[in-house]
Amino acid sequence: MAETVPVKSAGIHRDRFAQLTIYIAAFMVCAAFVWILSDIVRGGVAHLSWSFLVDAPRDAGRAGGIGPILVSTVLVLLVALTAALPLGWMTAALLAEYVSADSTFGSAVRYSLQVLAGVPSIVFGLFGNAFFSIYLGMGFSILSGGLTLACMLLPILVSTGEAGLRAVPDAYRLSAAALGMSRKTTLFHLLLPAAAPSLAAGLLLGIGRAVAETAALLFTSGYVDRMPGSLLDSGRTLAIHIFDLSMNVSGGDASAHASALVLITALLLINIAAMRLTAGWQRRKIVPE
Amino acid sequence: MKIISAIHYMIFTAALFSGSGWSQPVNAASQKLVLTGASTIAPLAAEIGRRFESQHSGTRIDVQTGGSARGINDARNGTADIGMVSRPLKPQEQDLQAHTIAWDGVGIILHASNPVAALSRQQIADIYTGKIDNWKIVGGRDAPITVVNKAEGRSTLELFLAYFQLKNSDIRPHVIIGDNAQGIKTVAGNSNAVGYVSIGAAEYEAGHGVPIKLLPLDGIAATVANVRNGTFPLSRPLNLVTRASPEGLSREFIDFTRSKQVYDLVEAQYFVPVSIR
Repeated sequence: MAETVPVKSAGIHRDRFAQLTIYIAAFMVCAAFVWILSDIVRGGVAHLSWSFLVDAPRDAGRAGGIGPILVSTVLVLLVALTAALPLGWMTAALLAEYVSADSTFGSAVRYSLQVLAGVPSIVFGLFGNAFFSIYLGMGFSILSGGLTLACMLLPILVSTGEAGLRAVPDAYRLSAAALGMSRKTTLFHLLLPAAAPSLAAGLLLGIGRAVAETAALLFTSGYVDRMPGSLLDSGRTLAIHIFDLSMNVSGGDASAHASALVLITALLLINIAAMRLTAGWQRRKIVPE
Repeated sequence: MKIISAIHYMIFTAALFSGSGWSQPVNAASQKLVLTGASTIAPLAAEIGRRFESQHSGTRIDVQTGGSARGINDARNGTADIGMVSRPLKPQEQDLQAHTIAWDGVGIILHASNPVAALSRQQIADIYTGKIDNWKIVGGRDAPITVVNKAEGRSTLELFLAYFQLKNSDIRPHVIIGDNAQGIKTVAGNSNAVGYVSIGAAEYEAGHGVPIKLLPLDGIAATVANVRNGTFPLSRPLNLVTRASPEGLSREFIDFTRSKQVYDLVEAQYFVPVSIR
């Protein structure tokens, strides 16, 4: 008895220590977020106003607003998602539902996506510049920028989509087959809605990566800060604007902070909206009324 | 659901393309100039382009960035109508024509708290080649020197190397940076750093409370005024380059960038207008 007491108390101490370490780690994660956010808010909130959101930039971005830049950002994002979502989710459905996990074709597709996921974004930028801008003759344009981004988004969309579909219990598929539902119906009415949260997570990761991208877009969608008149116009995205203001334009820091604040707020809103939408879709499809 | 979403997708795609003018760009009929090259010139060229557009309706000036080497390349192979190059052309680049639109100086910067007030040409060369690695040797405090160098392909790097007769492979940098503001931020954040950036940018930042100072070079203070009167030794032209003698819109735009109408824009970006020199 006399022996077990110190061992036990040592165990308690170790427990406490482990608990404390875990709490500190979690606290540091939150602190990093709060620090970044407060830094951006402190530097940018004074510069922020309605006219900042709608006006065109003046004096290389030191004055004026970010209206055309917001429009370009949204257009680039829309082009990228329009191209990448159907391709990505269809590939995910193929990998998860139509080929067996260890088939040669499936692993070839998966391997090429893994390679694609590991490629640095500047390489995508150079590829996009050489292929979309020069070879296909789109020049510096929102279209070539969006398509370059779409190539970058594919690995994220496919891998999250496939993981989500694989996580749906096989009982769903068996029940659907027992009810005589076709594979197509099962996929669209049962499996995809059941996998909706991970599809949404992939979508959000993709949007986050797309909106934060500078290197791939600098050589494709370009640097022009005019209001884009068409998808074939060059348009500067928010991330490039922030990069240019903080790294290239002396005295652009206040505008850079304010633009970063707009970017973070927009991402937050997109996150919330996507969460709501997927939750709603899943409830409509799967939970019986 | 499947058909509906597929139709939705088609409608959305069609709307995206037609709504933003896929087949008929709004500005299709207009004349367009594409400029690529030095990031130092890009903000200035974009501002000049904006004014040019407002005075010449139906024209568009698209300014892209990427560095002087890219400006040379794109002007040569025709990807861009005009290249932007922030240094004089080299002998092997004489197939291109340069049109100087402004002048800029390159100055050595230290952190404002650094007690070193001046460095000789030899000392700077020795610091950058790693022969001097402590501020104590040049009369500063006992602290290791952080050498900030520019990335390959930047014309500030090439000017710096040419002036101090160094080779980039001899330089022992601790930090490699791209644009000017990044260099200023790096030195402002490290009290033992030494770097070199565009004088206009450094003077502006130092005047707005950023803790950096410009060192004189060969005894001449690194100021925009000394770049303007031509006494500062390490200065460079900001050039627009074209493959052949410019014609039409290119000619008009280049003449505009060199005219009195844009002096205020040049000075607003902390450069020296071309004919004041």
